[in-house]
Amino acid sequence: MNAIFTTLKKRSVAAFTFNLIVLLTVLISFLPLLPGLVGLLLAAFGYIPAIDQYALSLGGFTQLLAWPGLSQSVVLTLFVSVASTLLSALCCFAILQSCWHSRWWKQIETLLAPIMALPHVAFAVGFAFLFTPSGFIARLLGEQINWQLIHDQYGLGLIAALTLKEIPFLLFMSIPLLKQLNINTTLITAQSLGYNNAQAWQKIILPQWLPKIRFSLFAVMAYSISVVDVALIIGPTQPPTLAVLVWQWLNDADLATLPKASAGALLLLLLCLVVLLGIRLTEWIITVKCRTWQSSGRFSLPIGGKSIITITYLITLTTLPILLLWSVAQRWRFPDITPSTWSLRFWQQEWYYLLDIITNSITIALVSATIALFFAIVIHEHSIKASLNKGKFKVPRLLISIPMLAPQLSLLFGMQVATLYIAHQYYYFWVTWAHTFFVFPYVFLALDGPWRSYDQRLDKVGASLGMSPFKVWWQIKRPLLLPAIWIAWAVGISVSLAQYLPTLMLGAGRISTLTTEAVALSSGQDRRISAIYALLQSITPFIFYIIAIVASRKTGSLEQQRANANSASLTSINRVRTHNASISK
Amino acid sequence: MRKLFVGLGLLLVSTFSQAVALDWQAVEGKAKGQTVYFYAWGGSPEINNYLRWADKRLNSEYGVRLKHVKVGDIAEAITRLAAEKTAKKNTNGSVDMVWVNGENFKSMKRYDLITDSFATQLPNWQYVDKTLPVDNDFSEPTLGLEAPWGVGQLVFIYDTETLSNPPASFNDLLAYAVKNPNKLSYPKPPSFHGTSFLKAALLELASDNAPLYKSVDTQTFATISAPLWDYLDKFHAVAWRQGKQFPASAAETIQLLDDGELDIAISFNPNEATTSQQSGKLSETTVAYAMQAGALSNIHFLSIPWNASAKEGALVAINFLLSPEAQSRKGDLAIWGDPTVLTSSHITGSAKNTKLFKSIPEPHPSWQTALEAEWQKRYGH
Repeated sequence: MNAIFTTLKKRSVAAFTFNLIVLLTVLISFLPLLPGLVGLLLAAFGYIPAIDQYALSLGGFTQLLAWPGLSQSVVLTLFVSVASTLLSALCCFAILQSCWHSRWWKQIETLLAPIMALPHVAFAVGFAFLFTPSGFIARLLGEQINWQLIHDQYGLGLIAALTLKEIPFLLFMSIPLLKQLNINTTLITAQSLGYNNAQAWQKIILPQWLPKIRFSLFAVMAYSISVVDVALIIGPTQPPTLAVLVWQWLNDADLATLPKASAGALLLLLLCLVVLLGIRLTEWIITVKCRTWQSSGRFSLPIGGKSIITITYLITLTTLPILLLWSVAQRWRFPDITPSTWSLRFWQQEWYYLLDIITNSITIALVSATIALFFAIVIHEHSIKASLNKGKFKVPRLLISIPMLAPQLSLLFGMQVATLYIAHQYYYFWVTWAHTFFVFPYVFLALDGPWRSYDQRLDKVGASLGMSPFKVWWQIKRPLLLPAIWIAWAVGISVSLAQYLPTLMLGAGRISTLTTEAVALSSGQDRRISAIYALLQSITPFIFYIIAIVASRKTGSLEQQRANANSASLTSINRVRTHNASISK
Repeated sequence: MRKLFVGLGLLLVSTFSQAVALDWQAVEGKAKGQTVYFYAWGGSPEINNYLRWADKRLNSEYGVRLKHVKVGDIAEAITRLAAEKTAKKNTNGSVDMVWVNGENFKSMKRYDLITDSFATQLPNWQYVDKTLPVDNDFSEPTLGLEAPWGVGQLVFIYDTETLSNPPASFNDLLAYAVKNPNKLSYPKPPSFHGTSFLKAALLELASDNAPLYKSVDTQTFATISAPLWDYLDKFHAVAWRQGKQFPASAAETIQLLDDGELDIAISFNPNEATTSQQSGKLSETTVAYAMQAGALSNIHFLSIPWNASAKEGALVAINFLLSPEAQSRKGDLAIWGDPTVLTSSHITGSAKNTKLFKSIPEPHPSWQTALEAEWQKRYGH
């Protein structure tokens, strides 16, 4: 009796601790939203003590609407975000359709990591080196190229760069999803009905893939609508995108523009909501409302996934040697194909100072990614419990994704003001906190697929053998999911390494990371020094991806482990289960 | 009138200096061990390197660390200060020292973001060349709220190999652009250099310059600036990318000059051509020159926010940056090449060779805002 009582007590203590951790996670991860949104709303409606404005007014909005280029800027922003998201989704699907489990697939999958690791800013710098009228391609051709891709009027260059950068992300996110979909059986069934591969992919797999990739698409869309650093480097300047405009107003020497800036930030948030709803609506139309195309006969669009993936890899990977060349060039004048004078002096000059910056970047990334990883695991576990137990509060997915979906600029403004009310200068603390906040949804998303495909019955087996819930988790679930955890950790680190605005705004500019240095230096247009920082920016996350991949291989792939542990019977049960799930959808 | 202004300025300076008489020894004592976060533009490796040197020297001489916080635009720091003002964070601020001039200074002054007057009480103030307009910043009296650091002159750079006879006036510039379309441009306003280009052009094209040195009103603005818009309409039609896009900064015009996309680049440093050649950014055949009428000139300054946490350290750092040693090094053509604000007898090395162009004073700052707004309305989208 006593023994049962102590076990019960132990269990309730464990449950209590777990619930406490969940509560803490929710507090730490979502608390910044409050000051973020409140601060933004107050400022947008004219409450800005800094410039002695205490009365609520619509002045900010009037100023915003009076801005001559506003409508062009909004249209441009919408065009860039919608086009780049649609294009990257389309390209990603085309690649999946033509390459999934082909003989190229292994190579594609291994190359995904380095491509994804390449931060947006570094890629943008390299992309610009390639495509300016006097860039590397022009040098190869021997004359200046006429078409404009960098700072072009319609944002085509920005769209191209964002699309190229997002394809690997969407592919990466699709892998665990497709593994759940049991593609091979579907294809065999479809073939037996006389559909070819492309038709089967487009009519059967697309409608299943689309709802699952939804949140990743949201992330891509939200990113493209609110990105500042990349848009500054290659985006249109006349007018710039709305995010850049807001950023410029926010940083205007004349503080009277603050209400306009805040109103603009609010508009950015609204635009973001509108396009996200747009995606959801499109998805609904395609998969639920208008489904005749699915049964309208054997018809498919010819999409060449192989050439798309080749182009993506080619352009992305070419930026690296060009960055390397620029970093050791003393003199490299147009139209020379290679530098005429070489020098290591920039490397020598920066080397001593780089150590500090790299340590900074990596420390913040490691700490915030690890915390975010811990939180994401906690929330995933909590969601599973909550879905089994109806009475329990479930953390809504939309809340989790807000930091990823709301424009950073809109949230950070309020957060920055909030942190100032706290007396001391805990810059590292605030920056790490903000990084954790923005990294969290990405880590959560990266764990989502693996967590869903985990077979819950293993837990029951463990529990029936008398193991405590924690022991079940630690000894059964953790080893199975370890490869995914490693990768999610690397994703978190790379997201943190790429953070520009949170580091700058909450660190008061005092905390310099590779990314903040890279953007600050890009204002000086010295290609040689920009190249050094862009290169280092690419190498750092790459190293962590390599570590994660090696570590996850060491712990074995998910399928292998499952096969080893539970032999064939479980795999077949699993297949039936997912199959049923896909039918019931 | 001018005398009255100077008189008023002096009066204000004296009241300010009464407010805090600096006991320099105490300042140096307190400064020891402080870290000064210096917010300054971080786009130039040459300038960044110079500041690293200053950090080393300050550390060994005074025990003060100078941390360069690299910003893309100094207005970022001003906004930061405004946010701190919002939060009533009147001590322990994040910014200890800023590199400012023009409208950023005006903003800091207007919203009380600067510490008490200090410049004239610095020991090294004695070396400053008082014949330079060091007491006003874009016709805004500095009142010792900022200390001069260097001299800027709006110059143009060209390559003697591609261009033998550079346009000597803005009208020549237009004629050149008509003959050589897609080869000339200027940085996009409201960037510092872009607006300066507009002001320089306006100074030449306006029938009467006097109103430009007074506060602007809508009526005068319309009549005085009309020739400028007429000029720009013609210029943009034949400019680089038909005036639909502009370079983002002066630094970009230098890159574009080297790429052969532009024939003329813009800079505020009369030594820019030489320093860029030394660093490999420009070819040996490039030369800087000013328009016949002269070069728009101003002084750039250093200031300390009201809530700086290392105020004494910042004072010591600014004083050091005004020393003959630091100014000579800053003016060194192989280092930065920024012209000194000290009397030339105190300067050594290649900085001594800097020759300034005939100078045109900056118009009243209200013109700047008006020009930027009108430009935005006409061409900004």
